[in-house]
Amino acid sequence: MQRSGFISRATLLLSLSCSRRVTSAQTRSLQLRKMASYTTEKRGRQNTTDYRIYFNDTIKMTIHGSREGKVAPSIEPYGSENPEGKYISPFHDIPLFAGIEQESGVPTKRVKKNENETVFNMVVEVPRWTNAKMEISTKEPLNPIKQDIKKGRLRYISNVFPYKGYIWNYGALPQTWEDPNHKDSDTDCCGDNDPIDVCDIGSKVCLPGEVIQVKVLGILPLIDERETDWKIIAINTEDQDAENINSIEDIRRLKPGYLEATLSWFKNYKVPDGKPQNQFAHNGEFKDKEYAVDIIKSTHAYWKALVLKKANSGSINCKNVSVCNSPFQCSEEEASLIVHSSKEYEEADSISEEVNKWFFLPK
Amino acid sequence: MSYTVEERGIPNSLSYRLFFKNAEGSYISPFHDIPMFADETKNIFHMVVEVPRWTNAKMEIATKDPLNPIKQDVKKDKLRYVANVFPHKGYIWNYGAIPQTWEDPGHTDEETGCCGDNDPIDVCEIGTRVCSRGEVLKVKVLGTLALIDEGETDWKIIAINIEDPEVDKFNNIDDVRRLKPEYLEATVDWFRRYKVPDGKPENQFAFNAECKDKDFALDIIKSTHTYWKNLVLQSGKPKLNCTNTCVKESPFFCSKDAAHSLVNETSPCGVADPLPAEVEKWHFLKKN
Repeated sequence: MQRSGFISRATLLLSLSCSRRVTSAQTRSLQLRKMASYTTEKRGRQNTTDYRIYFNDTIKMTIHGSREGKVAPSIEPYGSENPEGKYISPFHDIPLFAGIEQESGVPTKRVKKNENETVFNMVVEVPRWTNAKMEISTKEPLNPIKQDIKKGRLRYISNVFPYKGYIWNYGALPQTWEDPNHKDSDTDCCGDNDPIDVCDIGSKVCLPGEVIQVKVLGILPLIDERETDWKIIAINTEDQDAENINSIEDIRRLKPGYLEATLSWFKNYKVPDGKPQNQFAHNGEFKDKEYAVDIIKSTHAYWKALVLKKANSGSINCKNVSVCNSPFQCSEEEASLIVHSSKEYEEADSISEEVNKWFFLPK
Repeated sequence: MSYTVEERGIPNSLSYRLFFKNAEGSYISPFHDIPMFADETKNIFHMVVEVPRWTNAKMEIATKDPLNPIKQDVKKDKLRYVANVFPHKGYIWNYGAIPQTWEDPGHTDEETGCCGDNDPIDVCEIGTRVCSRGEVLKVKVLGTLALIDEGETDWKIIAINIEDPEVDKFNNIDDVRRLKPEYLEATVDWFRRYKVPDGKPENQFAFNAECKDKDFALDIIKSTHTYWKNLVLQSGKPKLNCTNTCVKESPFFCSKDAAHSLVNETSPCGVADPLPAEVEKWHFLKKN
């Protein structure tokens, strides 16, 4: 078993108004937060079909004051939590909305840096500039990240000149689902049966399984092999430029060429595999933040129906450890058994040189 | 002829050195001791790979150090990493040098009007395989770009690894235009702008940035080979280190044992230092 060397954070605001030691005024002024961390656990051998990245919800026992991360002495957390954390599904158990203030488990208020911002959690699947097609496995219990397989072979995205691998950190928003039973009115196509995809345009190259907080900027209406496949355009809230980037127009201004490249990338990325160019709805236009948030909310609603067994899940595995009222909820013990029945971690296998091929498509 | 490398010091640090050995296991200089020609009859050249495609560390043959190991360039006391200028990631070819060549700073080039940059001639290898640092390839020359980098002549030979699966289709610069569309334009763009994130101006080119053909390139290489010969055969104190173990007529010839001692003065290879976070940054320059 090997725990990943990094811990990613999702912020939950904890109301301490019931604490005997801290007054409510002090609570607000210090902006106390209980940091929930996600750790990942690698199983199997990287670059093989056995490789899995499982997620664990490790609760940190420290209180951080302010965003600069000053650490005050630890106090007991509210309620009883297992200090070891528990195995979770990145699809179903990581909150979609980051930074929700909770009182007795009920969301009361959103945390905002400014009035118009909604911050989401994003599960990174593919780091920028890499090729391995890593995905949340929607069909396996606890939905670990694994490498996609096509025609019996591990899938690596082609490098289509002038690009190398993916040109953003790529991943998914948890607790969303593009329902294949639903035909989208914009694209006139059915959902692709996956969580909604996100392209993080921030500078940092993230790791597979990292959970980051992102600000949504817009959305691209891709139709990938005739399925609706929205691509959220977002930026890591910790990016040094994040404060200056709030819209599609800001991306055009501060990162010229990036949106055009994104369109071109999605249009052509399967051509080296012999597939045709992809299509887009709305003439390939990037829609704005409001439009994007609407789409996200509807895919969140489809997901709720899924985990509450009100939609046809097909082959999707809805097992989770934390969704209230979900008939698919399972115990921490069962989750633990699932992870430990997978292959032990081993050092990575080497990658074939073919992955480095650079495809030059005709003009 | 086969060559191997020996890493010394910590990768991504000031101590890192990559020394070269010949087939017998004796230390050699990649600048002076590897023949320029792999096959003179077919105009196949050796190329020493300094920077693998898609990486950023500015590794170079250390022309001032004895035995000229590959080491990381340093600017203003910091290890140098080439910026990622959108849409590029690191270097967009395997990059390196042709041994036994030298762009003489004492010579003003007729075409560029500038003096040589005091280094072996540079090569951009456009084959599909990402090569390793220190690898010695055999390459077919296809053409050349006439870069003027910070006012110095800095030819960029365009070449392809003879082991590339498509090598037979590439015989001149037009084949690159046809089979890898936009690659030469991207190459010009890369060299024009790669120092802009460091606060330097855009670079210039001779010939309106046109890529010259194979015959032109071969002439340029041959003249830099002549400059190199003069360098290693000259009497007096050159500004570069011409220590070598194969050019017997050279006053800078040194014995195998002496070469061995030189290498042993460096520390053994250790675990690499992590790359600085700034290396990941993708620079978006304003469109002109």
